[in-house]
Amino acid sequence: MNARHVWTVAKKEFRGIGHERTIVLAILLQVFIAMFSSFLVIGLTSLYDPASMDRAGGVYAVGYAGANSPLRGILEADDTFAVYQMDLSPAIAALKERQLAAVVYVPPTQPGAVEPVQVTLYTLKNDIQAAVVGVELKEDFEEYEALLRHVRADRLAAAPIEVAVPEGAGGQSFFLFIYGLLIPLLLFMPAIISASLIIDFITEEYSARTLETLLSTPLTFTEILWGKVVAAWVLVPLQGGAWLLLLALNGIAVHNIVEVLIHVSAASLVLILLAALTALHFRDRTNAQFIFSTGLVAVLLAALAVPANPANFIVLLAAGAAVSWHWVVLAIVLCGTLLLAAVTDRYARTIARRAMT
Amino acid sequence: MSREILPMTAVLLLALFLASGLAAQSGVHLQDGLYAAATDDPDIAAVLAHDPLFTVHLVDSATLSQDLAGYDLVVSGGQAYATETDRGQAALSAFATAWRHYRNTVYTAEDDLFAAYPLWIDTVELTSELDFTATESGQTVSLHPQGEDVPSPSGPVEAVPTPAPVQSMPTGDMREKLASDGDDQVSRYVDMVSSGPDLGEFKTPSQLAPPLPFDSLIYVFVFIFPLYFTSQFYMMSIANERVDRRGEALLSTPAGPLAIILGKAVPYFFLMLAVSAAIILLTGGSFLVLLPLIPVIVFFLAAALLIGMTARSFRELSFLSIFFSTVITSYLFFPSIFANVHAISRISPLTLVVLQFEGTGFAAADYLYATALFWLSSLAVLWLCVRNFNEERLFSQESLTSRIISFVRGAMARGHPIASLVALNACIIPLVFMVQLMYLVLLFNIPMPFSLILLILLAAATEEVAKSIGIIAVLRGRPGTFTWKNLVLAAVATGAGFLIGEKLLLFVMVAQVTGSVFGTILFSGVGLLWMPFLLHAGGAFIVGAAVKAGGRRMYLPGLVIAAGVHALYNLILIGGAL
Repeated sequence: MNARHVWTVAKKEFRGIGHERTIVLAILLQVFIAMFSSFLVIGLTSLYDPASMDRAGGVYAVGYAGANSPLRGILEADDTFAVYQMDLSPAIAALKERQLAAVVYVPPTQPGAVEPVQVTLYTLKNDIQAAVVGVELKEDFEEYEALLRHVRADRLAAAPIEVAVPEGAGGQSFFLFIYGLLIPLLLFMPAIISASLIIDFITEEYSARTLETLLSTPLTFTEILWGKVVAAWVLVPLQGGAWLLLLALNGIAVHNIVEVLIHVSAASLVLILLAALTALHFRDRTNAQFIFSTGLVAVLLAALAVPANPANFIVLLAAGAAVSWHWVVLAIVLCGTLLLAAVTDRYARTIARRAMT
Repeated sequence: MSREILPMTAVLLLALFLASGLAAQSGVHLQDGLYAAATDDPDIAAVLAHDPLFTVHLVDSATLSQDLAGYDLVVSGGQAYATETDRGQAALSAFATAWRHYRNTVYTAEDDLFAAYPLWIDTVELTSELDFTATESGQTVSLHPQGEDVPSPSGPVEAVPTPAPVQSMPTGDMREKLASDGDDQVSRYVDMVSSGPDLGEFKTPSQLAPPLPFDSLIYVFVFIFPLYFTSQFYMMSIANERVDRRGEALLSTPAGPLAIILGKAVPYFFLMLAVSAAIILLTGGSFLVLLPLIPVIVFFLAAALLIGMTARSFRELSFLSIFFSTVITSYLFFPSIFANVHAISRISPLTLVVLQFEGTGFAAADYLYATALFWLSSLAVLWLCVRNFNEERLFSQESLTSRIISFVRGAMARGHPIASLVALNACIIPLVFMVQLMYLVLLFNIPMPFSLILLILLAAATEEVAKSIGIIAVLRGRPGTFTWKNLVLAAVATGAGFLIGEKLLLFVMVAQVTGSVFGTILFSGVGLLWMPFLLHAGGAFIVGAAVKAGGRRMYLPGLVIAAGVHALYNLILIGGAL
């Protein structure tokens, strides 16, 4: 096999991509999604971390109606709230005029009673700030629950181990979303795009009947194939790197970028080779894309179900978590890739030989 | 698709079944071991080992007191500590969740449930008499107290019945419900889609949570992806007709373009409907969910048709369809994040799906509001495609932009260019609205002055681009007839068409968004008709004049000038309005 020939074919495919402005679309797409991730950053932090939102005045007015209870003391001790003792009806009217953020009604149930204390909480519908107030109120309710539980402790059989968690734990779902979902999704999207690209590269030659022309040049069939694989594969780390750069611009630090990109490239080569095999076998785009995308879902699901899969390691590496033996996993993936590459090469040769005779 | 792939499909479906079984059995191992935790208490280590997010290290107290480096979380002596990093804080929060789970399992095992869970909260949501326009325009709602006085309502006070001190609570499923507690990622999604046990309105304090934004993600995966996937086949079926002029035979039959297009679409339409219905059956939802999905299906098919007819090669087809699917998925998904939180969510049909699953349901007005643009845009695109479904367009090899231009030119009536311009610009409005609502979704979270300015600029640019399409199509079509006089006529026609479309659509969708400050910019919803008309006609004239004077090169500068004028007009308008 001649490496220069392979590169010639790869360059031809690149030109094709550039010529059709498809790459412009791909870049637009990236900018678009980067915009959304920043949208998520702003939107979600403001929803989950009330402190990040600009609270002019900083205090929410809460109406307190019904019987006196320790809950009132808890709410008054919380400087997020200004508590007003009111009758229920005027309190609700004030809430509807947005003079209050929420109204709490407490029944005259005794703390030590057999039945539960059933508090009614009135809030505004469809309001982000009302949702924030809900988060703040939840903490006070939990405090009151602990107090009531303490009063009724003699009716409980077992007590759980107590561990005090310090204040200020906020953004778990945010961190988890960025590193545990968004980053692997963004990194594997180029891999999936490249895999469906190689199907297009190959089936296009069949449907446009340009293969004969290509084969009349000094290029062999396997060289053409590998050129196409290289063209599709090179796009993966390029696009993946662009993603990570865009994330960095959005203020999301990604750790171990080099290792992450190596893992993604290795895993994506498996997908690209699988796609190439499918395309070689079916030769028709509709069929090949259908078979490949169905197979892809199965492969991805199965891969994710295995502990210590490459995607898991990409998450850990990107988040900067302690990873011990990811090189071993990489080596295993590379062995699988080599095996698959050998199969693909063999299959391409068989097809070429069959075409000759 | 051909029959030869059937055996392979069967094998793959079996593989898919096995793989999903495997994934259901062993769980998805994507975030395993994200946080490193250390503890000197074997009981705590045993509790934490249940959560795959943690790598648990059980060490003795002496080591723990000396070497803390490398751990995100340390639990020792009844106290949890975390590093100051983002990961440490996330680990701490994950620990709090895991710990709440553990406490819940202990408390749920109690005989006296009301001793373990003594406090129950009934949340009543009220609709404020002040409407959403206040929040939408970015103004902070006065939720903080004005002074020391007890707030007193200015309006009439309605008597509100006092809730009974002890209300009956269903006890049957309570334990089960308490045990699940809804915090586990997978079980929460499963609970959400299949109607799980319901405790009525009462919740324990730890169950009180704001609507979780990611929940609508699951609906995107469950409903939208199969639709997108199926519409691909329609796209390919259209594109295949164009390869090697295969469609020539079809075009030579007496069936008209509309019959061919619809005939090809019908099987896919029913397939998509069947897939959605199957999902609803599986998840136990109401079939009302299909209602908001139908316009989405039609829109997917219309877009697939256009992409299939415009892409020059399969590569381009792939990219266009990926691009389209990302844009439309975000249009559907991002507003629905805020279902129950913000009025903006109502522009997405997916929000109606979420609401229907939650049992809230939706009214006819909501339906009209969320789906009108989908229906109208689909019709506009369909009409464009029907007019161009002929040999000349299907088998040409123009580049994408000039192809779109010739599509638009093809859709115009040859004898009546001016009337066509009016109609075209009226038809383009739904698409423009969709794009602009997208900006609204994107920008409404950015602080007020910036979001407004960005929105003004983007909206102006979009409207000018949309208006220029018709004029350019006419200009490029017959350069000879395009004199200055005709240009003025065309600009007037464009402005008139745009205005008619805008007002008609506003009439159809009397919606909350249009009343806010954002709505004013987007839709120039000011009573005076001649001002927006002059604006629209003027913008179209600027672009047309630039192209007439300087040729294609001047299109972009002309567009920038027109958008600038448009934005300036809106700024002054808003400046006056504020």
